[in-house]
Amino acid sequence: MKTLREIQDSFQRGILAGDDAILTEVKDSAKEQRKVLFGVYRYAYTARLAEIVGEDYEQLHAYLGDQAFDKLVKAYIAANPSDQRSARWFGRHLPTFVRNDATFAKHGEVVEIAELEKALTDAFDGPDAEPLRIDALAAIVPDDWPLLVFVPQPTAIRLTFATNAADIWSALKSETAPPKPLHLPEPQAIVVWRHDFMSRFRPLSTEEAMMWDEAAKGVRFGVLCEMVATFGGEDDAELRAATYLKGWVDMGMLAGCRTA
Amino acid sequence: MINEKPPYLGFGLGLRPQHYREILDGNPAIDWFEVISENYMIEGGQPLYMLDRICERYPVVMHGVSLSIASTAPLDLDYLAALKKLAARVNPKWISDHLCWTGVHGVNLHDLLPIPYTEEALDHVVDRVGQVQDILGRRLTLENVSSYVTFGQSEMTEWEFVSEVARRADCWLLFDVNNVYVSAFNHGFSTNDFLHGVPRDRVVQFHVAGHSHEESHIVDTHDHPVCDEVWDFYRETVAHFGPVSTMIERDDNIPPLAELVDELNHARAIAAAVREGKRLEAAE
Repeated sequence: MKTLREIQDSFQRGILAGDDAILTEVKDSAKEQRKVLFGVYRYAYTARLAEIVGEDYEQLHAYLGDQAFDKLVKAYIAANPSDQRSARWFGRHLPTFVRNDATFAKHGEVVEIAELEKALTDAFDGPDAEPLRIDALAAIVPDDWPLLVFVPQPTAIRLTFATNAADIWSALKSETAPPKPLHLPEPQAIVVWRHDFMSRFRPLSTEEAMMWDEAAKGVRFGVLCEMVATFGGEDDAELRAATYLKGWVDMGMLAGCRTA
Repeated sequence: MINEKPPYLGFGLGLRPQHYREILDGNPAIDWFEVISENYMIEGGQPLYMLDRICERYPVVMHGVSLSIASTAPLDLDYLAALKKLAARVNPKWISDHLCWTGVHGVNLHDLLPIPYTEEALDHVVDRVGQVQDILGRRLTLENVSSYVTFGQSEMTEWEFVSEVARRADCWLLFDVNNVYVSAFNHGFSTNDFLHGVPRDRVVQFHVAGHSHEESHIVDTHDHPVCDEVWDFYRETVAHFGPVSTMIERDDNIPPLAELVDELNHARAIAAAVREGKRLEAAE
């Protein structure tokens, strides 16, 4: 008689690898053959995970269409047995999987749509933090401003896209015809974060992205202003830096600030 | 260890994100909620915020799908720590999961998989339930699952196995009315044998749900309204056990909240009719 461990090993191989050895351990019912009955488990594994990946990557699904998306997801499931207690994280390797798939090697926008959707999903249930409010900034005395460092929302994720994937995603989300995929002349900086329980993203200009990246490293506001001046010219540099900062605060992208 | 028997909560629903707003904005006739533990083992955002608001207003129980109590893989201590942390936040009336396994070798098959009903499996499960109860500091509640295959090496019936686990591990039982119906159809046993085969004093919750009939077998899909046959068996179940906290499980094709409240009211009406019938019987 097989041990419980051996039964479970065989059962799992039956589901993941289509191995029929387990059929010698289970019985036909009065109404159905064992292969059909065990097939319920085989079918359910793929169907359940495919549904979850489909929910996480809705716009990728819309972009690729049912046939190509189903093929991609089935290949992903076959290559990535779930190792998570919650199926919530099952789809987290899909962007990497797409990047390594020969079919999509020449379609950078497909990888980037997947990256954007993963980031939006991650931001949705990432850590909580109260947003930095404008009145908190208003209370800071002028002498302290150059010393301020800013803390991004803990859900903030910085992406850099070589294609117009963000525009394609937005069009698909609003159920309009997506633009043709393009390789952008300059990489596009994107920040994804959560505010008021909703995942959001926005593209940043190269100057704003530079300031965001340096701010996220803990660089003081005084130094950030100097960097902006070097990057885009000294005229209005402080005003440009302050405008970027106000935008971040207005959109709930920051979680706090302190003097350092 | 929290040892006292969980209280009777009345008639509840599974908490689903589609209904957060309707629940909090209205005052639906729902006595309590069951939450899927794994859905709230996250860091933040709307799901945890809504969970906190629901916990402020309603009794809540936690229902897991990944404990994998019957697996031969080692117990996942990180999972149990996360479960305990969530329990500290929710203060659930009880914590349940399924009498099944979900994977081995670090894989999760995200399904409630059956085991052979053997003495070996019984010893294994009883030992693991004891470990989990020690870690959680409370008794666990275990649910019978729907199954599609039986094992040639089984040495006892499912209800004998379930009963022995409850007795030897000193845990509670969640009697899933639909799962008994589904497994009875699939394996050709009598629902009444199962009903009368489990210890009444261990059952603290009922699940009622819909399923998909495939002619030769039934699949436990939770994507349909509860069918008449399951309601009939629910009537017999209530008559046998008396008042037990009841909830409707719906996991797919989730309808508007009002439809589920209608189903819940149907369960209430059945339980009330059974109670009234017993009262009249006693008066005669």
